[in-house]
Amino acid sequence: MRAAILGLSIAIAMASGATIAAHHSFAPFNMQAEKTIAGTVKQFDWTNPHTWLWVDVPNDQKSTDTWAIEGMSPNFLGRRGWSKSSLKPGDKVTLVIRPLRDGSKGGMFVRATMADGRVLVQSGEPTDP
Amino acid sequence: MRHVQTRHVVLVATMLAVAWIHISAQTTARPAPTATDWAALAKLPDFTGVWEISMGGGGGRGRGAAPQGPALTPAAAARRKQLQSEAREDSPTANCVPPGMPGIMGQPYPMEFLLTPGQVTIAIEAYQQIRHIYTDGRPLPADPDLRFHGNSIGRWEGDTLVAETVGFSPQTELDRNVPHGDSMRIVERFRLTDPNTMSIETTITDPDVLTAPYTTTRVLKRHRNWTLAEYICQENNRNFVDANGKAGVNLSNPSAGSAK
Repeated sequence: MRAAILGLSIAIAMASGATIAAHHSFAPFNMQAEKTIAGTVKQFDWTNPHTWLWVDVPNDQKSTDTWAIEGMSPNFLGRRGWSKSSLKPGDKVTLVIRPLRDGSKGGMFVRATMADGRVLVQSGEPTDP
Repeated sequence: MRHVQTRHVVLVATMLAVAWIHISAQTTARPAPTATDWAALAKLPDFTGVWEISMGGGGGRGRGAAPQGPALTPAAAARRKQLQSEAREDSPTANCVPPGMPGIMGQPYPMEFLLTPGQVTIAIEAYQQIRHIYTDGRPLPADPDLRFHGNSIGRWEGDTLVAETVGFSPQTELDRNVPHGDSMRIVERFRLTDPNTMSIETTITDPDVLTAPYTTTRVLKRHRNWTLAEYICQENNRNFVDANGKAGVNLSNPSAGSAK
């Protein structure tokens, strides 16, 4: 059931993108672009008005950069199968994001693929617990 | 001696002022609700619980809105065009300023209806806001303070709660890039269309801005098992819009907003 909730189509994710605009616009993000990054979860802020996922991503200097990924709010996600431990420090994750236009190491969450193949998206009709 | 007299005068004046305040308070005192008042609530439609706009039910403008939006006077249309041309990348909500009415009723978050004698209270999760609709028969204020949510009274027409709201803060918008006039008035009709579906028909009149009333309808679903969640927008807000309308994201200090 949980996988079904989290596995809803990207089309719905796009449609629900409008809900993000309730708090702010997409202006800082390149909504036409998708970028894939892979790394290790450093921290998952389960906070309003948005969740923030901090991921350490290996770079060319044999070090890591910390990327910041904005997601939907805990209020929105909590009613769609997510919890504060959906992403935990140490989790290996591959992320698709809408990158920031200014080239900073950040973007907006599109989907995450976990090491076990689970795909997390931030969309769908809410469910009653 | 003169000093003592002065103090005496001040004391008497203070007592008179207190007495006057007491008398005015008495003239506006409202009776405490009785058991009958509480029992009467059970005869009203059951609005209790947590409701959310259903997906596809219209967010910002709501289902049934004219696709072109509100019918504007030439001046208001010119004003909108000017604001659009300034190409502000975002609205103050990016800085956690709540949208106020009518935008607060179109958020992608639930709201809870509370009915008590003489009042309907709407607790709104988005931006953790609250609206008070007084149903005790009082009139709208003649010279209202200007508020984000205006000043609301309501009455029951059969099974429909009809709320009227006036007196809005100049910081709220009628629609995107449409500032409202001084006499904007919002009438909302709340009713159940089936046991767990609520329709809110919203009609905005504003002679300074609109050439015709602007009506939209939103559909909300009841979620009996939900409770409202906390929404402190300042908790970890990394989005912003600056004074020039430039939007941005603050990526500094990764641990500051951590909630573990």
